Amino acid sequence: MRETRLWSLHLLVIPIIVVLLGTHFAIIHYAPVFYGMSVEEARSFEVMIERGRSIAQFVLYILLLAAGLYHGLYGLRGIIRELPLTPALAKLVDVGIVLFGLFIFGFGTYVTWWTFSFKIGG
Amino acid sequence: MNSNSPKSYPNRLGLKGWVYAGRYTFERYLYLGHRLSGMGLIAYMVLHIIETANRMRGVEAWQGLMALFASPPFKVVEYLLFAAAVFHAMNGVRLLLTELGFFLGKPKEPVYPYSSSVMRHRPLTYVIMALAGLIIILGGSSLFFP
Amino acid sequence: MTASHKTITPREITFRVRRFDPETDSAPHWDSYTLNVTEGMTVLEALHQLKAEKEPTLAWRSSCRMGVCGSCGMFINDLPQLACQTQLLHLGTDVVTVAPLPNYPNVKDLVPNLEPLIEKHVTIKPFIIHPNPQEIDEPTGEFIQSAEEREAFSQFTYCIKCGLCLAACPTVATDPLFLGPQALAQAYRYTADNRDCGLKERLEAIDIFHGPYQCHLAGACSQACPKGVDPAFGIQLLKRTLVLDSIGVGKKKSSVAKVRPLADVVKAIEEFAPPPRTVVSN
Repeated sequence: MRETRLWSLHLLVIPIIVVLLGTHFAIIHYAPVFYGMSVEEARSFEVMIERGRSIAQFVLYILLLAAGLYHGLYGLRGIIRELPLTPALAKLVDVGIVLFGLFIFGFGTYVTWWTFSFKIGG
Repeated sequence: MNSNSPKSYPNRLGLKGWVYAGRYTFERYLYLGHRLSGMGLIAYMVLHIIETANRMRGVEAWQGLMALFASPPFKVVEYLLFAAAVFHAMNGVRLLLTELGFFLGKPKEPVYPYSSSVMRHRPLTYVIMALAGLIIILGGSSLFFP
Repeated sequence: MTASHKTITPREITFRVRRFDPETDSAPHWDSYTLNVTEGMTVLEALHQLKAEKEPTLAWRSSCRMGVCGSCGMFINDLPQLACQTQLLHLGTDVVTVAPLPNYPNVKDLVPNLEPLIEKHVTIKPFIIHPNPQEIDEPTGEFIQSAEEREAFSQFTYCIKCGLCLAACPTVATDPLFLGPQALAQAYRYTADNRDCGLKERLEAIDIFHGPYQCHLAGACSQACPKGVDPAFGIQLLKRTLVLDSIGVGKKKSSVAKVRPLADVVKAIEEFAPPPRTVVSN
């Protein structure tokens, strides 16, 4: 059942990514259309920090990070494991990808938390 | 095959069978595009997380990075990534539906000339690819017509 | 696929055939021959003529010469096809390349070793698994299966184990452990059969990394299949079956086909009235 569960989760996170990544695109790339500010302004340090201090942004960014990492790394694991590997190497790929994913998730969560708790003026 | 018989020649296509879609159907090329765009997107995602962590180095470092990303070569790369993401998402919607057995028709007795589920969902494929093309072109309008 | 009048004119065609003699060669090489090809000639007939007239050592596998045995699968003009069902003039080219099926070990010349195909087929338990196994070995009657229940899996029963689908599949090209379209479609064939309740027994063999989830719907298998089995369809339906089963919405043992006792079968046949005569004798 395990492989079925892993694949089902790979599919289940798709709507999460479509909605959250679409929103992310709208905010970052289409700021003039959606927020009435120029793209340069939307990406400035001050505006970025201000955005990141909302609880909604904090939660949704971490959700997007988790969903995107799971979906992408499950796909990458599939591509690498489709090569002819010994059982030991296959296990190493599985473990390595999980560890890599956890590391990047941890790092991304740390940066998001840093932004959320940023004190203006030091 | 007993151990006394002469050695067969290993005839697996390997990566060439993965990459070279040759005279196979449109869906085989979409599979290749989906794989390549997926690999590009995951490489970008990891780099993006690392690059946006530069905020922790302060305002000047961040502004320098944003100035770099506003330069023309990066704008082109950004657009290509957008195109890859749109293609991957739209083709992914097709795969999400069809890999769960939707839009493939019902099993029925094969009568020559045979139809296949792959051909039966071709209209859906065309609609999805047309939509993807439209979004890619519209999305790039701010780049082509600033 | 129709060919233009120009391309189906009988003419001389060059055959590039991949040769490999395991006793003398370390790698395959290509040999060229020419033949005058007439309307209706198949690749298989051309091979017979080449062997008789030009190259007596040419080796390949064939049997029925009419597309039912599945023996003569070859890589013809870069597509896996049955040699007996490939009309030379309809290929539309002046040079026809004939190579052994890829993704199988090459025994000699155009002969593939199809053991990988058969071994993978065996792992998915290609037989009816019934709650009462004795009924399979010592039947007491007839399984009740309606026409609709039969049609739910019937197209997948037409597989002739020719192996063209594994030759076409991009995943089989890189992954020797991938079960392949044939085994996975057959796994669906048995799981969808209302006489079978063996999904649990087959899970160990199919719910693995090298199972249906490494099919990404490239569709090459269904394009190559000469009997309209459409293995890609079987694999997607298998994925649906596995996902539903994982959330507890699978086939129940109680819904397996009932047995109609033999006495009732005989009675039904005896009571069966023939349709009215359509030819009136005078």
